[in-house]
Amino acid sequence: MSSEAAKTQLMDTVRQQAAMQNARLLVEKLNEHCFERCVPKPGSSLSSGESTCYTACMDKYMASWNTVSRQYLSHVQKGPPKF
Amino acid sequence: MDSLEVSGQTADALRNMSDKDKQELQQFVNNETQKAQIQQTVHNLTDLCFRKCITGKISSGALDRSEEPCMQNCVDRWMDSQMTVVRRLESLQHR
Repeated sequence: MSSEAAKTQLMDTVRQQAAMQNARLLVEKLNEHCFERCVPKPGSSLSSGESTCYTACMDKYMASWNTVSRQYLSHVQKGPPKF
Repeated sequence: MDSLEVSGQTADALRNMSDKDKQELQQFVNNETQKAQIQQTVHNLTDLCFRKCITGKISSGALDRSEEPCMQNCVDRWMDSQMTVVRRLESLQHR
């Protein structure tokens, strides 16, 4: 294997694992928040109301993620603050 | 995070890598590390600010007129707080 191919392969693996970790964290947080908000008293199955709440809750959490990401990045891009 | 699985073939190729390639890989790893740190902070902040700003009944998937600015303020005030802590610690150090 050429070192160029090895380099590319290593980079791809790192990128993939970073993306996996990101997705895993998002799923964990989504379920943590939405379970707490949408299923206050777990019944024998997920009711249609709970399902509807879940869909809205997940969309809202992801919208929040995007807003926070934009806002935080605007600070990071300004560089370290001056003292 | 999981350990990287590198085949023997890849490992051999990596050992024989030129200095230029090594440098490039180092730069790549630095960038990815920084990206991962920023993403981690965004996860933590979203968690924190969602708790504080999304307190009403969840009926729509979009952020409403009060939630959006609350999330933005939450990030800004968190940054301020971070600064306050750092400044305070610095002043203690120089005393």
